[in-house]
Amino acid sequence: MTGADRIVAGLEGAGVTLAASVPDTWIGRLMAAVRGSGTIRAVDVGREEEAVAVVCGANLAGGRGAVLIQNAGLLNCGGILAGLVELYALPCFFIVSLRGDYRDPVYYHAPKGRVTEATLRAWRLPFAIADRTGDLGAQVRRGVEFAAESRGPFVLLISGEDLA
Amino acid sequence: MTGRKPFLDALVGLLTPADVLVSCLGANARWLPHMAVAAPVFALCDSMSAAIPLALGIALTRPDRHVVALEGDGSLLMSPNVLATAAAAGPPNFTMVLWVNGHYESSGGQALPTAHVDWPALARAAGLHHTETVTEPEGLAAALVAARRAPGPALLVLPIAFDPAERIPPYSERPGEIRARFHL
Repeated sequence: MTGADRIVAGLEGAGVTLAASVPDTWIGRLMAAVRGSGTIRAVDVGREEEAVAVVCGANLAGGRGAVLIQNAGLLNCGGILAGLVELYALPCFFIVSLRGDYRDPVYYHAPKGRVTEATLRAWRLPFAIADRTGDLGAQVRRGVEFAAESRGPFVLLISGEDLA
Repeated sequence: MTGRKPFLDALVGLLTPADVLVSCLGANARWLPHMAVAAPVFALCDSMSAAIPLALGIALTRPDRHVVALEGDGSLLMSPNVLATAAAAGPPNFTMVLWVNGHYESSGGQALPTAHVDWPALARAAGLHHTETVTEPEGLAAALVAARRAPGPALLVLPIAFDPAERIPPYSERPGEIRARFHL
């Protein structure tokens, strides 16, 4: 079972019914695994803020959603995190590709890698960095439950290595 | 050209408890708490452009409910990509209602960029097959019936008069109250 499969199994185990996404090369691989799920609906959107709103709507309607985007897209989402997720106290679970850290060989992602964790802290977003040596599915389930119980956001940062 | 409130009165009068109403920020969200709405209402007070994707998430999760999203032309101009997203997802239980007055009404009535945007044409180009422009409130009943019957998402475009003297009530509900009351 690949890391992507383990993450999808975690989403399924947490009762996630909808995954909204703008792909990059890593998230695209993860979404390919999501599309193989029999219980999670994949929703392709044009911008990351849309994914947040779609997932909030799914959660409001009694489902469970997950936002799957790159860290560049997360950096686009400050407004909607403040004006929708925080303001209305809505659960919103994110899986975000951490582009530009030491594990990412693509040079032009480096500036995003430098600011991602600092931005998450500045925005007071609870987050964790996935550990592929541990139980990835459990890490996903804990994140989804944290978002639901806290009625707020939770971000799980993943690397391409985690999907292998 | 007719003002906003007669259109909003007509639309609200057509909703049933089986529907769901999601409103963008601004005048519609401020009027709705003062109206008798049969459907559950989720009204935004911030987050331009969020009404359509928020309503889309509801529609995809609850195919047994018809979800109506109210959006303004200023908000949609900010992220017209939501039209393509809705078209691609394709829920037939989803109607978007676009209020076109050419102004950022809730922020002081500033004009939008003055280019004429052909919203029905833009929607069709984005893959929405059912679009209709409704110029009088009396036309909304038939338009909503047709939108409900459409095999995919529908867009109703309402050109409305911008009235800077309209006495729009202030926001009277807080987000926590709106969230707590919203149950499907």
